[in-house]
Amino acid sequence: MTTIRRFCCNDLLRFASVNLDHLTETFNMSFYMTYLARWPDYFHAAEAPGNQIMGYIMGKVEGQGESWHGHVTAVTVAPEYRRQQLAKKLMNLLEEISDKIDKAYFVDLFVRASNIPAIKMYEKLGYVVYRRVLRYYSGEEDGLDMRKALSRDMEKKSIIPLKRPVTPDELEYD
Amino acid sequence: MASKFGLAGGIPERRVRPIWDAIDSRQFKNALKLSTALLSKNPHSPYALALKALILERMGKNEEALGVCLNAKEILCNNDPNIFVDDLTLSTLQIVFQRLDHLDMATSCYEYACAKYPNNLELMMGLFNCYVREYSFVKQQQIAIKMYKIAGEERFLLWAVCSIQLQVCCANGGEKLFLLAEGLLKKHIASHSLHEPEALGVYISLLEQQSKFGDALELLSGKLGSLMMIEVDKLRLQGSLLARAGDYAAAADVFQRVLALCPDDWECFLQYLGCLLEDDSILTKGTDAIHPLNSPECKNLHISEELFDSRMSNAVNFVRKLLLDADKDSVRCPYLAHLEIERRKLLFGKGDADRVVEDLMQYFVRAIVDLGFSYADWFGHLACFTSDVENFLQVLDNNKKSEFLKKSREECEASMVAPSKALGRSITVFKIQSLIGDMFAQPQEDLEDLAVRMTEMFCKNLPLSKDLDAQESMFGEELLSMACNVLVQLFWRTRDLGYLLESVMILEFGLSTRRITSDGWRWEEHVLHMKLDCLSLAALTRGFAVIDIAIACNEATLIAARKESVIITIIILRKLLLVFLRRSTGYVSQYKILLLHLYSYWSCLPLAYERYKSLDVKNILLETVSHHILPQMLASPMWADLNDLLRDYLKFMDDHFRESADLTFLAYRHRNYSKVVEFVQFKERLQRSSQYLMAKIETPILQLKQNSNNIDEEESILGNLKCGTHFIDLSNEIRSKSLTFNEDFKLRPWWTPTYDKNYLLGPFEGVSYCPRENLHNQIKDTEANVLKSIEKRSLLPRMIYLSIYSASSSSVKENIEANGSLVDPKLSVELKVLLERYAKILEYPFQDAVELVFGISSGQQSFEAPSLDTIDWMNFAVFLNAWNLNSHEIKFLDRGTSISTTWSLVNSLLKKYVLEKITSAGPILSSPGSDLPFLVQLITEPLAWHSLMIQSCVRSLLPSGKKKKKGGFVDQSNTQLIYEIQNSIQSLCDTIEVVTKWLKEQIRKPDDEKFEAIFSPIQWNKSGRGPGKVFKMLESCISLMKDVELGDRISEALKSWNAADVARKVISGQGSLLSEFLKICELKMKSLKALGVQLS
Repeated sequence: MTTIRRFCCNDLLRFASVNLDHLTETFNMSFYMTYLARWPDYFHAAEAPGNQIMGYIMGKVEGQGESWHGHVTAVTVAPEYRRQQLAKKLMNLLEEISDKIDKAYFVDLFVRASNIPAIKMYEKLGYVVYRRVLRYYSGEEDGLDMRKALSRDMEKKSIIPLKRPVTPDELEYD
Repeated sequence: MASKFGLAGGIPERRVRPIWDAIDSRQFKNALKLSTALLSKNPHSPYALALKALILERMGKNEEALGVCLNAKEILCNNDPNIFVDDLTLSTLQIVFQRLDHLDMATSCYEYACAKYPNNLELMMGLFNCYVREYSFVKQQQIAIKMYKIAGEERFLLWAVCSIQLQVCCANGGEKLFLLAEGLLKKHIASHSLHEPEALGVYISLLEQQSKFGDALELLSGKLGSLMMIEVDKLRLQGSLLARAGDYAAAADVFQRVLALCPDDWECFLQYLGCLLEDDSILTKGTDAIHPLNSPECKNLHISEELFDSRMSNAVNFVRKLLLDADKDSVRCPYLAHLEIERRKLLFGKGDADRVVEDLMQYFVRAIVDLGFSYADWFGHLACFTSDVENFLQVLDNNKKSEFLKKSREECEASMVAPSKALGRSITVFKIQSLIGDMFAQPQEDLEDLAVRMTEMFCKNLPLSKDLDAQESMFGEELLSMACNVLVQLFWRTRDLGYLLESVMILEFGLSTRRITSDGWRWEEHVLHMKLDCLSLAALTRGFAVIDIAIACNEATLIAARKESVIITIIILRKLLLVFLRRSTGYVSQYKILLLHLYSYWSCLPLAYERYKSLDVKNILLETVSHHILPQMLASPMWADLNDLLRDYLKFMDDHFRESADLTFLAYRHRNYSKVVEFVQFKERLQRSSQYLMAKIETPILQLKQNSNNIDEEESILGNLKCGTHFIDLSNEIRSKSLTFNEDFKLRPWWTPTYDKNYLLGPFEGVSYCPRENLHNQIKDTEANVLKSIEKRSLLPRMIYLSIYSASSSSVKENIEANGSLVDPKLSVELKVLLERYAKILEYPFQDAVELVFGISSGQQSFEAPSLDTIDWMNFAVFLNAWNLNSHEIKFLDRGTSISTTWSLVNSLLKKYVLEKITSAGPILSSPGSDLPFLVQLITEPLAWHSLMIQSCVRSLLPSGKKKKKGGFVDQSNTQLIYEIQNSIQSLCDTIEVVTKWLKEQIRKPDDEKFEAIFSPIQWNKSGRGPGKVFKMLESCISLMKDVELGDRISEALKSWNAADVARKVISGQGSLLSEFLKICELKMKSLKALGVQLS
């Protein structure tokens, strides 16, 4: 009931119902288009039978050596299509691409420390809190860096939690 | 290149670094100083000059920057062997040239450098990039081929191939060019093969574009096919190629394989079914991908009935197999596939409507029993259930639709499921009821009860949301929107304001339940992190309302006066305040959009705009969402807000157009070739956006409106607009452009696919809803109207310019003849031509249009035109008068009417319509959907333009602009003209007076009285009929709810809720809109009176 396919520019004109939700940020055009130009395999839309956009995921692959990883920049589902595990499907897709195609070691994401429902969902999907990033969100709120190890990281070294929180300028990638 | 050796543009890097550092930290003055020092040592270094130009441009000194750039360019291109040319210099210059809108100059620098240093790949890539920015596809191709020949790299070949595709898709290149691209690829593959998945994708798309599906399939199944690493993507492509090649059987097999891997892929299922039915419509997506048509309709199938039966039976078997394998939790496609098969059968004439109803019920509540499933709850509780099944319901007749509604309702009442799911199902039943149009047939009382039930259900289920985070959607939120829709419908029927107030009220109530109180949010956490020791912050931790935070800010300001470090505190406090305000407006965008439209309709545009702003519409949403507010704002007196709206929107679009090519180049560089064509086409799509073109023309019109009391200002604006000529070009071209309509109409409440039809605006085509059968035609009609409107509005600036000129030259006849140079007959002819065009757009030949306006103003004729057209006709009359002042072509025979000149034509027309509207207008509070926008437009457009003509005449009659000469005007022959002007001033003042008097009456009425008028009827209605029931339900629910059930957050939100505030807000919103309009009228009147004094 869901067609998951690569996100394309025209979808930017159709995702208003998803993005008007207050937790979904509408970025500037160069942000979306840079993702499309650089990591088109990491940007997918889910479409309903009536062609409505149900949700989408955008991400990238980056890092060096054992830090080579997939990153979830945004994953969002329109209110009408929630509670159907769509976010899970989208996340699984990104994990699979990171794992099978790009042979990454792990997938990571950042989430507002106050966004308890989202944190719970990521935990269900197998993510663990790797570290806390102080005042990550516009200097207002902490972020949690959550990670899930992929098959290449057999010993799951990438997800051993850091003991101390970090500041945004200590982040390797942003 | 040079930097490797410690050189930047030929200068040691250590000398340049501090300049860049200064630029990066925005210390431009310092950067300039350093750059001047560098230049004094390297006066002929193009790089040093380029740096200086860059700094100047950043400082806003564009002209100076351009001068320095040109100097650098000259030195660079003068063939001096001592001059150092490198990519760093060129790219720095390029940046400045680009920002100064001189892309061609940057290109010529690179062209020169490439000629000077042939075979330098870095420079050639720079040049390629320049051509990408200029959208010069042919040149892109040529330079890419050159690079390919030098380096033999696959990527350069693909750059060339993309450039060829762009020539065909986005320019005038013939399709034969594809052959060239194909040949290039073939040759390369023969010698080097292909290594990038995207390259394979481009090759296949090239073959598809030439309908060489067999070749594409061969390629895909060959060695190169392994480049596509995701198996299912490869299969999808294979299936679609097979189908397009006409091999439906093989295609169906492939799609079956896809579905086995991805059983939830609905699009794939439709393709599979399309192949079984040999229906290729599903395979060719519409050109307008953002407004796709609904599912295929089984029309024009070429297969026999027997074949249809057997194929459908195959499909049923396949779907049953999918069902057996499916994971019950997340896969809905196979269940709906059953319904789709039944729907197709019905459309083919071989179906069974009972079966469709049965399948719908199974999807709603039961598992398919014969497969052994017995889940107690199915998909009926999902928020998307109704949109899932909409297509299947549409094929049923009304009886069957009602049968489904009845059954689902019974099922809902009978079965026991978890409360949240039971609620979900009940909502679904309400939605089905609404979808099938059942509500239109219900008696008034039943509808009232329905709204009450919905509201009650929402309130009673509030405890379900007790433990939810404030940011999460609450259970049953849609109930309030649906109750609002029912109340709106009741309002259409009865025109009883009580329903309208109630509909606003429940939405505001909904928003307030999602409002975060200071306790509910983590103020403490913020404060802790900030580690601030400001006393006022203590107030925050205790949790106060906005006002307290505002006070805290002030306190902090006071402390700051004594203690410097506290400035940080103020900044943070202000930030907190903003965060709080943003979050305190409530979350539900659906409520906000409904409210926005209801407030607009009830002449509370300031409130509507407030709601719009709280939606935080930005970036690309400006293109898709601003249609909710923009049309109302264009006809409003809220000029400052309108200006912000237009400015933000245009800035977003223009910024994108500026940066789009760089993003395209990024796609080239990262070898994502499929995105190259997509990006270019997307930019073109936005450039042809109807809303963008509309905003482009409305922005100067707004400026002209705002300055219409001052002819000198107006002329300077027109001067900046090249006297309106640019817009004439737009108007000329508009019909040849295929405009795009990118608005997301589905978000419109009381959704119709068009701008101009809204269920709220009253019955449409005899019923209260817009029939969905001829949507396509409705959309086409609306689009044609938008095009016409842009064409028409684009003529205005030039017509205003020519009219001002015409008016001024008519009144100084003697002077003109004396110096012989002022009258330019061409301008008068041009005005006539434009008047003819304007009339033609209004679908009248010029002469008939003239007759019509005379007929109307004298009361002998009338037209049943919509208000907006009336404004156009008045504009026509105003410009006609201006033209006639100079040409004197319209002669007045005895018409037996009071209209003896074009002056009196305009005067009487304006007065007539104002009087007509004011006489019929009731108090604004009790007249939602009033003619206020019409009156605003009338005063701010035709009347304003006419006042400009008067100003122009007066200015030329009194050349000094100050006082008339002793003993009379310039010439006695102007006496008639002076008389006409004085008359016209008097008439306009009288007309405006009528409006101001009406406005003042409205404003003066005490708010308490207004409040009583709208609030009391719903508050004290004891008859048991009419509005008020929902309000009472809300009040009683709130009073009965217990804090323990609801949790702190919700119960506090309920306590802060005050229904009477809603009515007060409506009243004050209307008041501020009227005051704004009154201000405009008074200023206009003042300016006209001043003109009168000058003449007397």
